[in-house]
Amino acid sequence: MDIKDIKLLIKAVTETDITEFEMESGEERIYLKRGHEPQIVQYQAPAAPLYAPSVAPQAAAPSLSAAPAAAPAAAEEKGEKVSSPIVGTFYRAPAPDAAPFVEVGQVVEKGQVLCIVEAMKLMNEIEAEFKCRIVKICRENAEPVEYGDTLFVVEKL
Amino acid sequence: MSRSAGMAPAGSGEKVLSLLQGSGGEFVSGAQISRSLQISRSAVWKQINTLRELGYRISAEPSKGYRLESSPDSLLSPQIRQGLKSGVIGRRIVSLQEAGSTNTVAFRLAEEGGEEGTVVVADSQSGGKGRLGRVWVSPPGVNLYCSVILRPPIQPMSAPQLTFLSVVALARAIEQSTGLTPRIKWPNDILVNGKKVAGLLNEMSAETDKVNFVILGIGVNLNMTLDQFPSDLRHPATSLFLESGVTVRRTDFARCLLQELDGIYATFLREGYGPVRGEWLQRSRLAGERVTVSNDGNVTSGVVRGIDEYGALILEGEGGAMVQVVAGDVRLAGD
Repeated sequence: MDIKDIKLLIKAVTETDITEFEMESGEERIYLKRGHEPQIVQYQAPAAPLYAPSVAPQAAAPSLSAAPAAAPAAAEEKGEKVSSPIVGTFYRAPAPDAAPFVEVGQVVEKGQVLCIVEAMKLMNEIEAEFKCRIVKICRENAEPVEYGDTLFVVEKL
Repeated sequence: MSRSAGMAPAGSGEKVLSLLQGSGGEFVSGAQISRSLQISRSAVWKQINTLRELGYRISAEPSKGYRLESSPDSLLSPQIRQGLKSGVIGRRIVSLQEAGSTNTVAFRLAEEGGEEGTVVVADSQSGGKGRLGRVWVSPPGVNLYCSVILRPPIQPMSAPQLTFLSVVALARAIEQSTGLTPRIKWPNDILVNGKKVAGLLNEMSAETDKVNFVILGIGVNLNMTLDQFPSDLRHPATSLFLESGVTVRRTDFARCLLQELDGIYATFLREGYGPVRGEWLQRSRLAGERVTVSNDGNVTSGVVRGIDEYGALILEGEGGAMVQVVAGDVRLAGD
């Protein structure tokens, strides 16, 4: 088997969900293994899932999403996330007795206000960056939020 | 429809005014104004009368011309700009007789591309904005309500630092204009003799990693009298007049505030948050004080050691553990 055949083999394996491949013919033995198998990392060290998604190389991603254990998470992640640009307090309405800016299922236009995040008397109105439907509201009113926390999951329209 | 049109001298009226203001208290002849502005003598006369209707006292003597005796304290753009020593803040001033909220007007201007340093002032506000839908009482003729557009090259995460910047500028302006020594209450309330004299509310438009603009909203009770305060205020409130016994000229105060904002903003852009934090801490007189912070029934107490880079109050609790407080009402242990 020359290098060209091995390349072809790798390509063929990569196009499937196979993560491990072994082949013997005569004197030759080929063993291929893909990615870092992040779901195993999660099984072995459930307390440290933080670094798994960010450190895992891209090649590992297909096997993760194809794994049955990861499927529900993948379904939930469908749609775009709206995350908080600052550390602060999340408000769903402009005032305590006012109606919320948006509800689940609502279609909002680009530029429409979704919520306010307040930090140190600085009010940050988070707007929709595109026309979308609100799939999920991830935080409770008046809850503290961190930088990068997902506030909404939306479906781009 | 803007109600400002009938208030601010527009076009040649504004030019006539600036000629009179620029004469150093001397008479300016009608012929000279007519020549400078390329308008007829009768047009000059008309503009002088319009200015008089706006509250300017202008004397006229047949052989000498016109002289500006006094200007109304009506927060007009040219009056605030007269003698304004400032680089960025106030290079454009939009003066309104009434606004719903100057923050809302400034926010809209900024969305339309309004440049950094643009200031919106209003004689009164029909819906002065407080936190979370609360109202800032804004009667006409007595106070200052203004909003400033900033476009700082910083990350959204750092934008709360501007809250501390604006309250420090305001504390400086109050001290200079009245001689009173205000105290800053974390994060940005400003108290004179324990009572609130101003409300500051900032609004931001940002993307994930870029600040589009920040609106600094500043409302100061300058000459409000006791009967103008509602009886159901959340905190005891006062005005600079009530505390000092002296009427504060609004135009002068506005100019002073804009200059202080300009100075501290330039420092902030040049040297970062450090100097703002230092002056804030000094003007809060909180360092080393034992305080309790209550937030929705949760009470934290400790000795104030400073504020962090996002403005959180750093408390040293029992046993020396450091706690960061991001929200709540701060009280001195002795109060």
